[in-house]
This record gives sequence, C-alpha cells and structure tokens, in this order.
Amino acid sequence: MKTRVLILTAAAILLTAALCCLPFLQYSSQTYIKRSPNTFVGDEKYTAARAEVEAQLETYRAQGIDCAIDEQVTERVNSKKEKTSLVIFTINAANTRSGWDLLAAGLPSSRLLIAALGAGMAAWILTMLNIGRKSGGHAGKTVGILSFIFALAFFFLVPTVYLRMNLDLSRSVSLYANGQEVPGIDGLLGALDRFLYDGEAGDSLVTMLTAMKYSILPALFLLMIPAGSTICAAILGCRKDLKKTLGRVALYVSVILFSVFILYPFFVMFITAFRSNAETTDMYFLHILPEKWIFSNLQDTLNRGVLRYLINSLLIAGGATGIAMLCGIPAAYAMARMDFRGKKAYLGFVIMSQMFSPVVLLVGISRLMNTLNLNDTLTGLMFINAAFNQAFAIWLLRGTFVSISPEMEQAACIDGCNVVSAMIRILLPMAAPGIVTTLIFVFINAWNEYTVSTVLISTTTNRPITVGITQFSSFNMIEWQYLFAAALLATVPVVILFMLIEKHLAAGLTAGGVKG
Amino acid sequence: MRSVFMRHRWEPYLWILPSVLLMLIFVVFPIGIVFRLAFSNISRAGVVGDFAGLKNFQEAVSSAAFPQVMLNTLIWVVSVVGLSTLTGFICAMVLNQEFVGRKIARSIMVFPWAASLVIQASVWNYIIKMEYGNLNNILLNLGFIQSAVNWRASYQIEFVWECAIGIIVTIPFVTFTVLSGLQSIDDAYYEAATVDGAGFWKKLRHVTLPLVKPSLTVSMVLNIIYVFNSFPIIYTITKGAPANKTDTMVTYLYMLAFYDQKKGPATALSVIGFVILCVASGIYMFITMRKEDTGL
Repeated sequence: MKTRVLILTAAAILLTAALCCLPFLQYSSQTYIKRSPNTFVGDEKYTAARAEVEAQLETYRAQGIDCAIDEQVTERVNSKKEKTSLVIFTINAANTRSGWDLLAAGLPSSRLLIAALGAGMAAWILTMLNIGRKSGGHAGKTVGILSFIFALAFFFLVPTVYLRMNLDLSRSVSLYANGQEVPGIDGLLGALDRFLYDGEAGDSLVTMLTAMKYSILPALFLLMIPAGSTICAAILGCRKDLKKTLGRVALYVSVILFSVFILYPFFVMFITAFRSNAETTDMYFLHILPEKWIFSNLQDTLNRGVLRYLINSLLIAGGATGIAMLCGIPAAYAMARMDFRGKKAYLGFVIMSQMFSPVVLLVGISRLMNTLNLNDTLTGLMFINAAFNQAFAIWLLRGTFVSISPEMEQAACIDGCNVVSAMIRILLPMAAPGIVTTLIFVFINAWNEYTVSTVLISTTTNRPITVGITQFSSFNMIEWQYLFAAALLATVPVVILFMLIEKHLAAGLTAGGVKG
Repeated sequence: MRSVFMRHRWEPYLWILPSVLLMLIFVVFPIGIVFRLAFSNISRAGVVGDFAGLKNFQEAVSSAAFPQVMLNTLIWVVSVVGLSTLTGFICAMVLNQEFVGRKIARSIMVFPWAASLVIQASVWNYIIKMEYGNLNNILLNLGFIQSAVNWRASYQIEFVWECAIGIIVTIPFVTFTVLSGLQSIDDAYYEAATVDGAGFWKKLRHVTLPLVKPSLTVSMVLNIIYVFNSFPIIYTITKGAPANKTDTMVTYLYMLAFYDQKKGPATALSVIGFVILCVASGIYMFITMRKEDTGL
C-alpha cells in the first residue's frame, strides 16, 4: 500500500514538473506588415514586394525567430469600374509560452495556476506526512481528508485556468478595445505585454492583442493526469477503498452537473426577470447577473395585464379541477367498488382518451365551442381542461380507492348509512392524500395549458397567463424582462404545488395510474 | 361486496354518468367533428359542404411540405423519446443511490415537469439568441468561447435545438417515472446478486432492467404520445419557419387550420395523426390492461 502511494505521488510530481516545461500557449504576433496597393497577384509590383518581404523574413529567421508570411488579397471594383487589388503581406512569428512562463506572468490565470499547483503540492506533502504514521488515529484522518480535498482542488482548478486564460487573452481585451470599462485592465495589459511581447509592444499593444490568434495547448489539460494520480494517492493514503471513493466522487460530480444543467433555464428566467431592458439585449454581454436588480419589473408586468391573466388562469384551472373532481370521484368510486357490465370497456376508453391531446382535435374543439356558444369564454376552457384531464383523474382516484379496504364502508352501509354518505364520511377522508394529489395534478395541467387557449381565446382580457405572456414578444420587439417576470409569476405557484404532491404522486402512479 | 354498494343494477351507471357525459361532449364530439370535416368539402369561410371522399387527404399528402413535415415528426419523436429516456434513466439511477443532499437533488430534477412548456420554450428561445442570448453571455463571461457563437445559423441547426430542448424538458418526466419504478425494487434482489458475485453491469442487466421494464415501457409509450402532440416548443422557437421546414405534424396542422384557413387538409392530417395515436394508445392500453389483470 505504502509503495503504491509513494509511486503515485512521485509520478504526479515528476509529471507535473515535466508538463509545466511544455508550451501551454501558442500565439502569433505580427512583426512586419507591408501593404502593396494596386497590385495584382503575379505582376511585377507583386514580385518586387514579395521579394522585399522574403528578404525581411530571412533576417528574422537568421535571428532564430520561427515565422511565416501571410498574404491577404482584397479585390475591388472602384467608382470608375476598374478592378483594383490590394495585397497585404504580414510576417507572423509563431511564439509559445510554457507553463513556467505562465506561472511567472502575473496574470489572473497565473494566480489560478499557482493556486492549482499549490493545492497539488499541499496534497503531496500531506499524503507524505500521512504515510509516515503508523495507523489511522484522529490526526491522521484529518490530514488524510485534507490531502484528498487539496488533490480534488488541484484536479478541478486545472480547467478553470483554461477558462481564465481565455478571459485574460481575449475577452477583457476585446471589451476594452470596444470602449467598455474593464476593472483592472491596466495591470492586465502590462502583464500581457511582459508575458507575450517581452514588454516591447508599447502603444500598439491593444492593436496587437486584438489581432492576435492563439490556441491553448493540450499540455495544460494533461495536468489533470498527475492531478488524478494525486487524488488516487490521497485516497490510498487514507487507507480507503480506491474504487468506491472514486465512485462517490463521480456520483457527486454527476449530480451537481445534472442539477446545474436542469436549473440553468430557470436561473436564466429568474435573473432576466430583474434586468433592465437595455441589459436584456446587451450586445457586449457585460454582466452575468443583473447589474442592478429591478424588482419593480414584477409590479410593472402585473400592471400591464398580467394580474388579469393570472386571475383568469386561476379561474380556469380551479374550475377545471372542480369539474374534473365532481365527475371523476363518483366514476372512480363506481369503478373501484362496484361490478358492472361495460366497466372494463369504459376503463379502456378512459386510458385511451388519456392519450388524445387536444392539439390534434383543435379544429373539432373550436367548432364545438362555437356551437355551444363557449368560444372565447373561460367556462369553455374549464370544460375542455376538465375533460382532457378526466382520464388521469379517474385513473389516479380509482387507484387510491382500490388501495383502501372497503370493510369500514361495508359496515357503515349495513348499519343503515346510505352509500353516498358512507363514501363522503368514510372513504373520502381516508383517501384525502390521493384526492389532493389528483386535484393539484389536474390544476397544474390546466394552469399550463396553452394550445387550446390560443385558439379559443380572442379577447385580450380573457387570456390565461400562458397565452398572456406572449404579448411581450411582438414581432419587432421583445420585452424580455417583462416576459420573464410574468413567466416567473406563472411558474412559482405551480412548482410549489408540485413540490407538495411530488411524493404522493409517485405513490399514486404506482398504485393505479400511469405506472403498472 | 356488490350487494352492499349496489342496490340496483343501474346504479353504477348513474355514478359514472357525469364523467361519461363530460367525455362524450368534449372529447368524443370533437373527434366526430374532425372526422366529418376530413371527408367533406369545406369553403374558405368554413362552411361545411357535401361529402368529398378522400379529396382532403389527397390535398394534404400531396402538398410540398408534407414529406419534410413527416420526416421532421419522425426525427422529433424518435430522438426526443429515445434520448430523454436514456438520460432520464441514468438520472434516475444516480438519484436512486444514497448520498447527502439526495432529496434536494431529486426535487431539482423533477420540478421542471410542473413548469409550463411555453414558458420553458420562451426561456430557451432567449438563451440561444446570438446577439444577446444568455448562452453566449455565460460562455463568454466564463471563458469557454472567445467570441459570440451563432447558435441558430441554419434551420437544420434550429431544428436540432428544438429536439434538444424537447429532450431537456422531457427528462424530468422520465426520471420521475423510472425513479418510482426503481424505488419499488426490493433490496433483497441486489443482495442476492452481490452474493452471487455480480458486478455493476450484470446487476443492471439481470436485476434492474427486467424489474424496471414496466415503468420504462409505460414512460416510453406515454412519451411517444406526449412528444408527438408537443406543440409549444416548435411554435415558440421557429413557428415552423422557413416554409414549414422545421414543422412537425401538429404545428403544421395548426398553421394549416388557423393561419392558412385550410380546414379540409388540416382535418385530414388530424385524422392521420389520430390514427397514429390510436395505434400507440392501443399498445399502451394493451400493456396496462394486461398488467391490471395480473395486478388486481
């Protein structure tokens, strides 16, 4: 065990040192430029210019600089309809900077790299300390855990160095060149000048930086290999099962990644709802979070009709839930407690109808609503939502009722209580969790319904919230902050409701509904 | 049991009457209307004329957009259902482990199910804007990219985005269904498998998959139907543009019926979609009813 830890650590140290000697960054810097106007490729002027540039190239090469000629031809037709051509020759020197250079550069990314290597070193030292001890003990455990944490930090800091390098080398500079305020830009520019041009760029620094092409080389990422070996050494140093511990780490990392991924759109909705209008369409992408949180966006959306839409949605969803339950509870009761001809057929129909989304039937529904005079009314939407959720309601309720033993009701009925009051007094209270689950489920579905509402509702004041939010996105201008403020107001209530029933819903599905 | 709860033979029918009426009026009637319209001549003003045979179907199928729409629908359903089932299954497997913060992670992964699709689609529509969208903002400010990327360079890429968004919004449902299936598996099976020396993959193949198969099947069949019917994502992001190249069947028939006022071909398409759904529902019903027989 001890030898394995030693070997892993030694390998990590050596590999890290070796990798840092390799180039981390490759970039081109323009050292010479020649513009040759009225020149066509192949003519005399071209050959002369070319020869001049090549001579220059030779002198550079003689100095030991690795460089190449770049040739850019721009052809144009001028106002006299004559073809003109401009050839620009540039000599680009390909430069590289190694890990050690980056460490000494004093850039923000250098500090991150120092932090990463520092964490690695801390992990190595702690692992070595731990290996000297005889057996566990309290102090040994703490040291072991610390070394593990440092090793993890080493591993995950490496990719952040890459990200920070992109910010240092391109984003900050391009923002600055576009006249935006960038905090700490003077220090950064000075450091870049020293790092990339040996402090010789002077006034043309920003031009050179914006013209620079660079790539960050894989050597940086390869640092994750010694980092990984450091992690393994730290785990083995703690006398832990390597495979199991790595499995746990992978588990947590994947949970975090999945969660970030799932939460991302909701995060966007949340922050955008509180941005200013200028910031929602900011071409320079200046701020990740709102520069100033404008909470009055919520108030503004409410004033611009959203309050009305929310009330409409509440009425539609509430009405639909009421109707669905009034029709669904007796039906589910009959299917759970009674035997009758056609029961199975009706059950089959119920399951089938669960599948028909109203979208395919839109034309039929809108015609029906015309005949019933329910077009453009909240009542119409209540009935439609109730009907298309009926199947699910019956299915969930029946499952709940079946899972409750009928003995108590039987006893009550024999005692002379009639079936209806036995159901209301005995079964319904016992089935309360299932009923609440169904209720909320139907409510959420009706609240989120969009397609039928877009077709049936034409009066602005009758819109439910899902249709209402689209008013903020007209063809030529979208008021994103209001759209998302309204979206936030529409989402929060149903998500809270859903959280309340989530556990019961799983049980309900298992008992009778969607799940077998 | 029957004698206590049922005094008369007609009683159960009285109990189910409200539900039957509701379904009859608001589900069965529209189906009937759609079928009638599909086989009738309809004027542009919407007046229903005489029997037209298969004329509407012919018009719907022979339109220039139809092959592309059907292909899109196929890609849409297969990719969204397939990939969301796979990812949702992995999510559920992860969430089925014991770890600190599991309850929170579980809530995070299933709650998007409760959020409306239009809203989620609108958010994504903002995220992938090139000029000021949030994806470019985040990636630029974190250093992942060096300049703003045009995420919607062509309609093909836009359609891929639509599928991806469809997958993302469907994952919570799959995770939820599969997780409830996974949690009902008795630990004893795994213990026995461990005693027999089975590793992770063997356990997955011989214990988890067979036992979770019912909930996986149900979630898949339901998903096929939901995804087939899914309207808001495509309608919000591209509205089928350009020239129906990113339409699926439901958005296409919506456009036909309510923008182009071609009710005849639209209802014909409805009938085609209806038949496709019937087949899917039939399979679903067969599975559920069979389980019902053995389960009760």
